[in-house]
Amino acid sequence: MLSFLGYAMRRTFRNMRGNLFPNLTAIATIGISLLIFSSFSLIAFNLASLLKVWEEKFEAIAYLKRGISLDEVEELLKRIRQLDGVETVNYISPFDAMAFMEERLGGQKNLLEGIQPAILPSSIEIRLKKDYWGRTKIEEIVSGLEGVPQIEEIQYGQEWIETFSVIVKLARVTQWILGGLLLAAIIFIISNTLQLTISSRKEEIEAMQMSGASPAFIQIPYYMEGFFQGLLGACMAAGLLFLLYQVVLVAITPLMKGWLAGIPILFLPWETIARILLGGMVLGLFGSFLASMRFLRYGR
Amino acid sequence: MIQMFSISKTYPSRITVLSDLHLEIQAGEFVFVAGPSGSGKSTLLRILFGAEKPSSGEVIVNGIRLTRPGFKKIHRLRRTMGIISPDFKLLENRNVMENVAFPLEVKGHAPNEIEGKVSGALRRVGLQQREKDSILSLSAGEKQQVVVARALVDDPQLLLADEPTGVLDNRMTEEMMEIFSELHQKGTTIVFATQDTSLVQRYPHRMIPLSAGGRGVVEQSEGV
Ligand SMILES: Nc1ncnc2c1ncn2[C@@H]1O[C@H](COP(=O)(O)OP(=O)(O)OP(=O)(O)O)[C@@H](O)[C@H]1O
Ligand SMILES: [Mg+2]
Repeated sequence: MLSFLGYAMRRTFRNMRGNLFPNLTAIATIGISLLIFSSFSLIAFNLASLLKVWEEKFEAIAYLKRGISLDEVEELLKRIRQLDGVETVNYISPFDAMAFMEERLGGQKNLLEGIQPAILPSSIEIRLKKDYWGRTKIEEIVSGLEGVPQIEEIQYGQEWIETFSVIVKLARVTQWILGGLLLAAIIFIISNTLQLTISSRKEEIEAMQMSGASPAFIQIPYYMEGFFQGLLGACMAAGLLFLLYQVVLVAITPLMKGWLAGIPILFLPWETIARILLGGMVLGLFGSFLASMRFLRYGR
Repeated sequence: MIQMFSISKTYPSRITVLSDLHLEIQAGEFVFVAGPSGSGKSTLLRILFGAEKPSSGEVIVNGIRLTRPGFKKIHRLRRTMGIISPDFKLLENRNVMENVAFPLEVKGHAPNEIEGKVSGALRRVGLQQREKDSILSLSAGEKQQVVVARALVDDPQLLLADEPTGVLDNRMTEEMMEIFSELHQKGTTIVFATQDTSLVQRYPHRMIPLSAGGRGVVEQSEGV
């Protein structure tokens, strides 16, 4: 068994060396295809994790009318705290709001010079319990508070998050459509490269068939060739993707200022990388399977 | 060893090569298949080693029914056979020794066993001096010797030989027939296709005559 594997390996590498250029072309094409696919995965992954960060900050802000006494605020806080699904409630005074804006503006905080905190409204930040995230619950709470005379306006980020999640979905869909097309291309490329190898080994294959080699014995080196093409292509894609990621990090991170600076740019988790490698191997095997079905039949 | 019941073969080109052929060859027999060019000798042998399907009829070789619907074990069959046929070409990128070793390698024999068998087979055909030579450096007759060595290297139970002496001169033909007789004496079943009637007359083996035009077997004569 071991000696058979060694023999099959030797045949595989001899075949690949014998058709070096088509093999390299196939590997490079597979690598680039998978790179395109995984770049989209990376973008979609980052957008999705950004979305998650924002969803976690899910909250409604009730802006209060001017000139409300602290007692009234206390009263209101107590009332909101008792509402179903509310996790925390925070009072933000005009001074807090001022400090927050200064922080956000960073180097440009001189814009705020001369502005009195008193012109800013005070507000109440309402954060929901995790189980209550979602449109219906927040709307219930919002409509419950709408009649309260001390409240000027209630804002919540739901709409914005929904738009953004559509973008994320779009990126995912593009990823899979593109992925499907590239998948077909990869299988086609592998199967054709193998067809080339097989036809260049035609006499040897015929001699094997005449000698009574089992179909598996004949096919395994071609499966291995497809497997290696897929694996090497996927490795190349993963390597290039990582390089690309580093370039983006170096080039873009310094440009991200203010609140953007807080957004981490992530690389794909290793499970996804493993899945891409596995995908490459499976595609390679599948392509070689197709080629062998077409060209390696025991003739009769 | 071989049974054929009512075998017919019509190629897609509508040439009927064999029609309603009945044939039984016992284990250990030496049989000539003789007939003019185009009479279907190669077709008959190709059916026996599973390269061709008969259009109708039943074929059983070495207990394996080749005409069973969905039959997929051609390789099992060929493992016990030695085949000399234009379908089984020598590999020009390998030397003499490697070509003879090829069927053993494919069947997964151990290297030291392969070495012994190969040198034995080459000695038998008289090519032991040329074992490292390229196939391209051999004459047609010498190539045929390599083909024969390769066919008998694994001591086959059944030897199917399609015009093994076709390109050989008289002296070499005699030598080759000597080798075949030796094999036959050791118990190998031999089916030998040839259009050389003088050969058939010189050796006292059963002959299966095929005639041109698909009339199949005319009669079965018992040697000469
Ligand atoms: N694959 C094929 N397709 C169509 N016709 C074929 C095929 N193989 C053989 N034939 C035809 O069948 C007939 C018998 O061919 P075959 O090779 O069996 O004859 P043969 O007795 O071996 O002849 P030879 O002595 O010249 O080798 C010929 O007329 C040939 O043209
Ligand atoms: Mg012939």
